[in-house]
Amino acid sequence: MLDHYKQDYNKQRQQFVLIDQLGLVLEYTGILLPIKKGQNLKELHPFFESLDALLAMPNPEFSFYCVHLDLGTEDLIADIDMVRKKEGMLLVIHDLTEHYNSYQAVAQARNESIINEELIVLKNTELEERERFKNLFIQNFSHELRNPLMSSMAITQILSDTSLSSEQEQLLEVLRDSNTHLKLLLEDTLSISMIASGKLVMKNTLFNLHKMLDLLSFTYKTKAKAKGLQFTYKAAKQVPEYVEGDRLRLYQVLTNLLDNALKYTVKGSVSLTVGFNQQWANKVHLHFEVTDSGPGIPEDKQPTIFETFSQLASPDKQQGTGLGLALVKGLLALMDSTIVLHSATGKGSTFSFDLGLKVPLQSAMQQQIDIGSAATSRKMGSPGRKYKLLLVEDDERVLTVLFKMLMDSDQFYIDVLTDGGEVLETVIQNEYDLILMDINLPNTRGDHITRIIRDFPFKNVKQLPIIGMTAYAYEDHMQAYKEAGMNTVLAKPFDKEELLQNIFMLLHS
Amino acid sequence: MQRSKKVVILGHFGVGKTSLIRRFVTNQFSDQYKVTIGVHISKKVVTLSAEESISMILWDLEGTDSLDQVRDAYLLGTHGVIFVFDVTRPSTFQQLNSDLKIVSKKLPERPLLVVGNKKDLVSEKDLNELLLSHNISHDFLTSAKTGDTVEDVFLNLATLLNTDA
Ligand SMILES: Nc1nc2c(ncn2[C@@H]2O[C@H](COP(=O)(O)OP(=O)(O)OP(=O)(O)O)[C@@H](O)[C@H]2O)c(=O)[nH]1
Ligand SMILES: [Mg+2]
Repeated sequence: MLDHYKQDYNKQRQQFVLIDQLGLVLEYTGILLPIKKGQNLKELHPFFESLDALLAMPNPEFSFYCVHLDLGTEDLIADIDMVRKKEGMLLVIHDLTEHYNSYQAVAQARNESIINEELIVLKNTELEERERFKNLFIQNFSHELRNPLMSSMAITQILSDTSLSSEQEQLLEVLRDSNTHLKLLLEDTLSISMIASGKLVMKNTLFNLHKMLDLLSFTYKTKAKAKGLQFTYKAAKQVPEYVEGDRLRLYQVLTNLLDNALKYTVKGSVSLTVGFNQQWANKVHLHFEVTDSGPGIPEDKQPTIFETFSQLASPDKQQGTGLGLALVKGLLALMDSTIVLHSATGKGSTFSFDLGLKVPLQSAMQQQIDIGSAATSRKMGSPGRKYKLLLVEDDERVLTVLFKMLMDSDQFYIDVLTDGGEVLETVIQNEYDLILMDINLPNTRGDHITRIIRDFPFKNVKQLPIIGMTAYAYEDHMQAYKEAGMNTVLAKPFDKEELLQNIFMLLHS
Repeated sequence: MQRSKKVVILGHFGVGKTSLIRRFVTNQFSDQYKVTIGVHISKKVVTLSAEESISMILWDLEGTDSLDQVRDAYLLGTHGVIFVFDVTRPSTFQQLNSDLKIVSKKLPERPLLVVGNKKDLVSEKDLNELLLSHNISHDFLTSAKTGDTVEDVFLNLATLLNTDA
């Protein structure tokens, strides 16, 4: 009985076929393949066409796994064993369709996920590469703009010192505004791309927060008044006077928010509020808020306004690129904070963020403040003595401008070199008080020359104060120039006041 | 006179082996990816001249990560080889040279064509740069999707197999 069942069972799942040397069916059992005695298997399926080669081989046995023998009707996936016999070849065909179909599903999932992952990685690498290229381009581009902007700013300054008609005065004012705006845009663009490429790092120093806020309040009260707007400033009394943080970047965040508020508000008021959240050990948590009574920002626009180059369509076409808010977002992220916006059309807007700042210990603070005030008190030059400066700069326009700035102060005798190769000789033969030197010079570089000067045996040459000037104001570059021995490095564009301050700081120390 | 020649199509998974055969045999293409397991065998008769034609028995093998994993039984009695890689996926051609070494060890002295598939997905310029930077020598660049250069591959191999006798 059981034998009968077994036969029946096997009939469904196995087939034995005996073929001769030519591939003709001699005998068979089972029903898997629709074959007849005397039939040539090669005609049944191309798999068997390759049998010729096998018949000629010396091996007594072969096994083929997972062969698809689709014969038009139903799919058959089988393992096929071949055993050499004296009559010819015995084929044993095992139907494993079900088994292989479930295996196929597994392989399908596996392969698809591997390929997807691979393509995602490729895509990301490509995007990163593009982003990197974009940032590099922006950085280089903004550096290229520094020299011409520097000339433009300086010439504006020079012109304003000449006698002008009132119409010319007005035109010059417009020019000065444009310069300032351009400089700001340049700085913002650079900052954003530096943030994006991870090159911007926060520099935490001790600073007087009250003073900074007072300055902001004063500046924006004036600006608001000029636009016929109210400006209010409120700070909680627990806000500490001295904190440790990146003053410049915090200032940048607040000015951007305030400028933005002023720009879009036509009527009403703008306010700056600094609240106190809590103080833990030596860390204070503050809440900054800039509120305006402007047109408000529709809800659907809110998620995108912090993106680079997005700007609300405004009816009176305000100038600007909308870089400010993107910069705010990026800078705050570097300070471990997030900008929050509450706004609705017609209801004005409130931009706010929480910020944790270190509050320094009393003694360390006193020391730093002393240093700070000492530096500012000996800022400007004393009358009487004139200093001898060596100015090394190859860009003619910049040179003209610098020359004029320095001459105007009437405190310097100035020698000019345009070729870095002549610096060393000139320095040895003359007694200078200070060198003002561009970094990128024809034939050589300012930082290289500095290195050589610092290695000189003569004390008067070796210790000569050197101020570098560069349009490539990357943090790491600036640092490298200082390591080469430059006392100070100025990033172009700079203005007359910045230049003179730095010169006198060195001359008097 | 018509002779049968067994051709195996090798390469990593998903490179388009099945699609190339499908394009050549039935002139069809599908965007759907159905992973091949084991082997599918199909056949196409190629006419070389008025008197000569070859019946190509095309063994479409499952893709593997490495050619070491190919089951030897599948390769028995092979006359010619097509190795396919995917020009959009570096993992399928990064070890091309060692892959080809394995092929020529397992199947010495058989005609072998190296094919970069899916060329429709990359620009010609990027493609050339890519191949150059990876130091890849290929015989054909194809697209199973558009049919570009697909027939050339098989006809070229047929000719090689024919002169091989
Ligand atoms: N764009 C494009 N897609 C292709 C081309 N060739 C194949 N594909 C797609 O690539 C995927 C994989 O193709 P298959 O032919 O199944 O690849 P395979 O090499 O047989 O894969 P395995 O059987 O797993 O080894 C499918 O989604 C195809 O539609 C081509 O030339 N161009
Ligand atoms: Mg396949």
